[in-house]
Amino acid sequence: MMTCREVLDSISNFIDADTKKEVAEEMHKHIHICSECRAQFDSLTMTIKLYRHVENPSMPAGCHDRLVKVLELERMNPKASGAPKSEND
Amino acid sequence: MATTATDEELVKRAQADDERAFGELVTRYESKVYSLAMKMLRNPEDAEDVLQDTFLRAYRGIKSFKGNSTFSTWIYRITANSALMRLRKKQLPQVSIEDSDEREAPISIADWAPGPAEQLLNQEMQKTMDEAIDALPPEFRQVFILRDVEELSNADVAEILDLSVAAVKSRLHRARIKVRNRLAQYFSETKTNRATGAKAS
Repeated sequence: MMTCREVLDSISNFIDADTKKEVAEEMHKHIHICSECRAQFDSLTMTIKLYRHVENPSMPAGCHDRLVKVLELERMNPKASGAPKSEND
Repeated sequence: MATTATDEELVKRAQADDERAFGELVTRYESKVYSLAMKMLRNPEDAEDVLQDTFLRAYRGIKSFKGNSTFSTWIYRITANSALMRLRKKQLPQVSIEDSDEREAPISIADWAPGPAEQLLNQEMQKTMDEAIDALPPEFRQVFILRDVEELSNADVAEILDLSVAAVKSRLHRARIKVRNRLAQYFSETKTNRATGAKAS
């Protein structure tokens, strides 16, 4: 039987279904009988659900045009924009 | 006009000085970049600065882009780094070995009713959720947003942030506990306030 500490240490992976099958089974059993760990599991699951409902912020009016202008300025005169260095992949 | 060309094709054309191809990549990714920057910084001016900074870096770096990662991962990496630099300038809380708000405090799950969907209609709740993100150290905030808000995989987040998957999981776990503890405090206070209000009336 897993201890509460062991369950809590693996709880994030468990929520993400990222634990070995036997560990997941043990955790299921523990959470079923331990109300404190169940509250930890339920509240973390609900926290994640809340943030997954967050809407994507949209670009404000004029934002695209300003970006195009900045890139155009860079294309015309690379030294003028005061832009940052490039990035390698 | 939007094309059906793949990112890879557009990158190759942009590398051969096809300005329209780079423009197409901008159109394809600008709202995603802005949205990620906004979620990390929660300030429209800062998010727009990150948007411009990201595409300037991409424009300058496109010729040296070797395709070791996808364009999408690359552009997210530039965005996340640019946003992180801004967050660090704001001197946000730093990651400590163990913070008291990372401990698994006892949770009264009864306080969490009604469910998540109903809570989202509540402006005060939205504010609390934003504050919980604000309270995260920048390195935790990056992981939490990419993983739990953008819903990317641990492997993708690891590649974007140049971390091991184990480091992503560790930061994610700690970030979730911190955020959850903040929300739990809100729920507990709301319940107490409701109870006090009911008694008074």
